[in-house]
Amino acid sequence: MIWYVLTLLILILIAPLLSSFIKVVKMILLFKKPISIFQGYWDFSKLMQKETLISHEASSLTTYAPFLVLSPLLVVMLFLPPAIQGSFYVNFVDAFTITGLISLSTFFLMLLGLDSGSSFGGMGSSREAFISALVEPAMILTIFSVSMMADNLSIAQAGLNLAHHFPKEHMASFLFAGISFFILLLAENGRIPIDNPETHLELTMVHEAMILDISGVYLAIIESASSIKLVIFSSLFVSLFLPFGLEYSPLIALCIFVTKLFLVAIFVALLEVNMAKLRLFKVPNLLGVSIVFAFLSLITFYVLGV
Amino acid sequence: MFCFDTLSTVFIFLILLGAIPNLFYSMGYLPHVERKTHYLVHYFGFVFSMIGVVISANALVFLFFWEIMSLSSWQLILTQAEDKSTIKAANFYFFMTHFGFIFLLMFFLIVTNGNLELGFKEMKSITSMFEYPTLLFFFLSLGFLSKAGVVPLHVWLPYAHPAAPSPVSALMSGVMLKVAIYGLFRFLFDVLYPWPLEWGMLILTLGSISSLVGVLYALSEHDIKALLANHSIENIGIILIGFGMGMIFDTLGLKTLSSFAFIAALFHSFNHMSFKSLLFMGAGSVLHQTGTKNIEKYGGLIKSMPVTALTFLLASISISALPPSNGFLSEWMIFQSMLSSSHIGDISLKLTIPFAVFSLAMTSGLAIACFVKAYGITFLGLHRSTNAKHAHEVNLLMKMGMILMSLVVISLMLFTPFYIGWFDKVMVSFSRGSIYQEIFPSIWNMHSLGTVGGVVSPLILLFALMGITLLLMFAYKVSNKKIRYHNTWSCGYKTSAKTQYSATGFAGPIRRFFSWLYRPEVHFEKQIMAGHESKFDASHYEVHVKPLFEQFLYKNLTKLANTISYWIYRLAHFEKTRYSAMIFNLLLVVLFSYRVFINAFSWATFLLEFIVMMISVKILIVGDKK
Repeated sequence: MIWYVLTLLILILIAPLLSSFIKVVKMILLFKKPISIFQGYWDFSKLMQKETLISHEASSLTTYAPFLVLSPLLVVMLFLPPAIQGSFYVNFVDAFTITGLISLSTFFLMLLGLDSGSSFGGMGSSREAFISALVEPAMILTIFSVSMMADNLSIAQAGLNLAHHFPKEHMASFLFAGISFFILLLAENGRIPIDNPETHLELTMVHEAMILDISGVYLAIIESASSIKLVIFSSLFVSLFLPFGLEYSPLIALCIFVTKLFLVAIFVALLEVNMAKLRLFKVPNLLGVSIVFAFLSLITFYVLGV
Repeated sequence: MFCFDTLSTVFIFLILLGAIPNLFYSMGYLPHVERKTHYLVHYFGFVFSMIGVVISANALVFLFFWEIMSLSSWQLILTQAEDKSTIKAANFYFFMTHFGFIFLLMFFLIVTNGNLELGFKEMKSITSMFEYPTLLFFFLSLGFLSKAGVVPLHVWLPYAHPAAPSPVSALMSGVMLKVAIYGLFRFLFDVLYPWPLEWGMLILTLGSISSLVGVLYALSEHDIKALLANHSIENIGIILIGFGMGMIFDTLGLKTLSSFAFIAALFHSFNHMSFKSLLFMGAGSVLHQTGTKNIEKYGGLIKSMPVTALTFLLASISISALPPSNGFLSEWMIFQSMLSSSHIGDISLKLTIPFAVFSLAMTSGLAIACFVKAYGITFLGLHRSTNAKHAHEVNLLMKMGMILMSLVVISLMLFTPFYIGWFDKVMVSFSRGSIYQEIFPSIWNMHSLGTVGGVVSPLILLFALMGITLLLMFAYKVSNKKIRYHNTWSCGYKTSAKTQYSATGFAGPIRRFFSWLYRPEVHFEKQIMAGHESKFDASHYEVHVKPLFEQFLYKNLTKLANTISYWIYRLAHFEKTRYSAMIFNLLLVVLFSYRVFINAFSWATFLLEFIVMMISVKILIVGDKK
């Protein structure tokens, strides 16, 4: 139990670090002078001190929605696969619940975008709705296939099963599912081929456009929600598709887990530097690739037999 | 004459759950109805006839109540028949519902051997003697699915539901469609029991297509009630996916999985009843206050109509299948029953189920988009019209109706084990084993039945979510931050109703991506100023989405029928020789097919007849080239 709580705390605490780490790696790769790796924490503390500015047009929804954006993600954090063998984990929650909770958070974020009546917010919500509608089928098919391979639908149990007994005979479907899930990681977190988290340009914004009217503590909440979402997705990726190193002593296992998270972050940063952002109407092609890979993974799994 | 077995009781309860909150709402709505007696008579007739349908025990009583149900709802649509479109919608509904009725009648005439007073239980022996059970299945599905609104028989829903007064739309969409589902349950189990695999596949396919088509058309809709009507098509599709999975599992001998899928279908029927009624009531209140069904004319109603906005939000979360709502739980069950398809031995069948998973997942993703649009454009932002500005909360009775219905939604969420236990009894009454203990070992966790089955815990999820949210809000309250209301930056323009996003704009990306389905027609109208096209002023952008099925399937069928009948009319009245040639050809065809049937034909006669036929077709019917 103590390790469960510790893992949870560490994951929540490194969430802003991971986001700024990606930024730092990108800046180094682009020969820029990098920002501090702790920029995420500084932004957070600065935002916490500011007053809350609410638009005249906004309704009471704006005062509740930010909490409802963050809380489903925090609930998801409780259900993640364990980083350490033998530590406590919640074994009764399956992947649909997790995708559902993430959708719940996105639902309130999209409503928040529409609340202040600015055209930017609506634009962001509309695009986010479009992308997340196409993410959903790929997500469910990928998870379906992974849970078949891991022989359990409960996500934490699946992570443990994969670590215990890696299905070598299903390497092909495993790989397909991994590719599909990585595309989803990029799409859900608004990383570069789908959305550029750094620009505030009308043509390219998705996530940033929705939160343009939010300020102060609310902005801090939403920003931490998005960094926690990154942690959720990368730790899901790590425990489902890089399932090794759980059996060492707790401290080392935790270090390995965190290192793997940072490896995923480096990979995301490399991709971001090497790719251009896709036009909005090319995004479905990428997500279509992810859907096709998910199907392929499932089909190879069935054809090769259990 | 009447029977009260478990299935009937469950559906009586469904009807009452839908009707009692509706009654309050209806009473609040009554002052705005001009023909009060007409409305009340048909309203109560409608409710009682629905109860009559689900408790009747023989074919005659069933058909009688079924017809009363159709006719009274038809009259209810006509309550406020002010414009032509309402009358047209009512006529359309009248036609479609009797289209289904004919098939039901044919079904009953066959399975009762013409004695319509035969009870349902006795029909089974007659059916087992009948040589073509698939014909019966087709009659049954055409009859019930045209009522339930399954693609391609769904076209009446987006017309009939918006035309009816709001409480009636809530009843029709929430409750009446479920009566059709009751019919499927009753007659597939009691009369046509051993099902071939193809029937289940057909139902599953129809369900998958309906769910996708329903939600896609809902997204492009501007009329809020038509949007909800399209969502009914979607949800009936989801129910049928569960139903079809149950049939497939049953045929393959996986009885417990089959029961699980049927329970999921029943549970989703209940959930759809609750949240769809609530949504229609909310839409009705908005419509009542603003006087328009056009979603582009709403906006900012959360400030003036808080109760409506809150209940609508609850229903939106539930219909989008977001946890921990009841809609999520039933959709979770349907997903789980599809994932249990890994138990199927047949590999080709196993490979087809993921496509249904895909369509259901896509549907739930698009439903979220659609309800963000419906809720965000209606209740959030700025008032888009003066009507929306002057809207205020509806009267107490209507509010009561909405609050009661949201209590139904919440009860379905909180007391899931109780409901599931009850649905399990229905399955037991169809002589299957009880699976309640496997689904709910304790009331906290809901298990699916596959070997790789998942678990969801509705109550824990609800408490965790509420707990963390309240904790965060409490922390925020304690920190006592200064709040300032001011203008926020809005791209350099003044924020006004015109600059904010419209419903058309919101659905824009999705409409563009699915343009092969929608085939949108875009109308631009630009103001001409001093002989030059102005750039922005009074430019008018409107998108009309063609209903594909109506446009192609129905229109072309009508066109075909018209062409054929005109051709025959011309032949019979103006071209007697050709007409007689046609009769001659028909005779030959009949003779020939007769000989084929009694297996007494030789190729020589076939060739001879064919040549004679071709000659007469060429000379007498086709005629010379002009």
